[in-house]
Amino acid sequence: MSVELSFGEKNFIQGGIEQNLRADGRQRLDFRPMPIETGVIPQATGSARIRLGSTDVIVSVKAELGRPNSHHPGKGKVVIYVDCSSTVGPSFQGKKGEELSSELSTALQKCLLGGSGIDLSSLILVEGKLCWDLYIDGLILSSDGNLLDALGAAVKAALSNSLIPKVNILPDLAADEEPEVDIIDEEYTQIDTSSLPVIITLTKVGKQYIVDATLEEESQMSSAVSISLNRNGQICGLIKRGGAGLNPSVILDMISVAKHVSIRYIATLDSEISTAEASSAS
Amino acid sequence: MARTISDLFSKKTDIPFYISYIHKITPNQTLKQNNQSTLNPRRHRERDHREMRDLKDLQKSLNQTQRVRLQSALQQLQEIYSRASSSPAAAVSVSDCIHVNLEDGVLKGHGTTNRNDDVVATVCGIVERVNKLVYVRDLRARYKPEVGDIIVGRVIEVVSKRWRLEINYSHDAVLMLSSMNLPDGMQRRQTSTDELNMRSIFEENDVICAEVRGFNHHDGTLQLQARSQKYGKLERGQMLTVPSYLVKRRKQHFHNLEQYGVDMILGCNGFIWVGEHVEHGVDVPVETVKSSIENMSIEEQKPNNFTPLETRQGLCRIANAIRVLSTLGFALSVEAILKTVEWSISSNVEIKDMLLSEFCVQAAEIEVQRRILLTKRKN
Repeated sequence: MSVELSFGEKNFIQGGIEQNLRADGRQRLDFRPMPIETGVIPQATGSARIRLGSTDVIVSVKAELGRPNSHHPGKGKVVIYVDCSSTVGPSFQGKKGEELSSELSTALQKCLLGGSGIDLSSLILVEGKLCWDLYIDGLILSSDGNLLDALGAAVKAALSNSLIPKVNILPDLAADEEPEVDIIDEEYTQIDTSSLPVIITLTKVGKQYIVDATLEEESQMSSAVSISLNRNGQICGLIKRGGAGLNPSVILDMISVAKHVSIRYIATLDSEISTAEASSAS
Repeated sequence: MARTISDLFSKKTDIPFYISYIHKITPNQTLKQNNQSTLNPRRHRERDHREMRDLKDLQKSLNQTQRVRLQSALQQLQEIYSRASSSPAAAVSVSDCIHVNLEDGVLKGHGTTNRNDDVVATVCGIVERVNKLVYVRDLRARYKPEVGDIIVGRVIEVVSKRWRLEINYSHDAVLMLSSMNLPDGMQRRQTSTDELNMRSIFEENDVICAEVRGFNHHDGTLQLQARSQKYGKLERGQMLTVPSYLVKRRKQHFHNLEQYGVDMILGCNGFIWVGEHVEHGVDVPVETVKSSIENMSIEEQKPNNFTPLETRQGLCRIANAIRVLSTLGFALSVEAILKTVEWSISSNVEIKDMLLSEFCVQAAEIEVQRRILLTKRKN
């Protein structure tokens, strides 16, 4: 994504980060307000929409019956895919959009599925034969930086919004026969998202690093490190982007900062999700 | 299509609400956007403005009491407005009937069409009547330049003898080298050396301020001029993008907010510059020339020449006040902006908290108070 900024504006942004007062008044480690809506797509099993400033993403979860992988007969499957709508901006059209969407999809898979965030064994119905496949699809509606964090939070909100129907498995089952199932529409189970990690991206501009960078700030970055952390402060995934290299000591420092930020971030995310659930239920 | 859109909201809805619903889907606007792509294929690549959130988004993030407060504030504003204007403005939405006396003969203007012997609106806006002409003034339209407008724009191209600027209009604007004062301040013919040195005046992506000079009658391009010290390159600050109809044309668009050490330029095209105060008339342009001779700009020599923190605080506060007012859909006058800023300081609201929904609601209430005071003073 290209942002055109004049020298004076670039200097202003860099100066703001140096002086710990960014262009919209935030400090380096402040997130933008993050309103969440859940249940935005009625056809999906669960869905959520998150806005961070002008960044706007929707994530939907669709549960389908499938066959477990033969290597992991006791586990269900989760597939994450992110689509970059070309209506977002000119920079999302054609090849560039595809590159970004595959980059974001892999990053999300690594960050969220890395540290047993979703209990895959809970998705199994008949071992080796039948399981729930979760298709998690993200759609970027508008981009103002920090897409990965927003998507990560939206996945969490969408999963906690998901209601997976209960199934009756008909008992008379020969060894090589396909199991027959009966979906009960009124009864649901919820997915446990408490151990699902959150992603925190630290963007390095000059000597300092910031969280929740806007598009303008991202254009000034030398490198960015996305760290996914769970509730216990354990690292579940780590991705570095951007051209410039980083000292190991800087990365360690970034990790401790991210750990510190994550405590507050998880708390706000949880409260936002619960208010969204409450307002969508009413 | 038209029916369904107008069915979405009842006539009683406050104007600002339904505008936000039909934003981007009025037939007139889709038409305009189509035109744009044919007129200027580059535009799709260049334009990447992210407009700020609007009232509809804001309302979703409010809780029950905040919503009620905002509603009542907007209601009050509407009352003030309807009391101030002698005849209530006829607001129409798409496919609404416009009452005309066909016997007198009617000239249908912009935003109107015939349907079953009725005159109906094709855009949302206010019905205006000038003698026989009936037209609808859109409430949410793209910026339409008028001669003398002061605008803020971004250079997108340096071509022979001219700069091309993005100014939020359906075409790019053109600033000719000959229609600006040269840095040495002399009135003389521009030479080829001046033409070669154009990049030392403005480069690509520079934010500059200029005045609309007029339209070129041959190809319809918009010509700008910058014949004074107050126009020119803007540095050390941020540019905000707001809907252009929020900036009303007034006598004064340059504001030096002395108490904060900040310059604010309310461009008629909806680009607003908020930056550190610069003294005019001092040899700033000459320095630019010098630096171009040395082939190194002043800023590059002193990389840590940042805006002082105190100025930056005022600057960010003003910028956030503009963001809040634009979210609420209030006209951006310097009085309204300053009032919001002063109030936020006096009530100890942190700069970043100005963008929270609570402050938005409070800002709406303050605006109501300010307008009530204004009308009282007038009477």
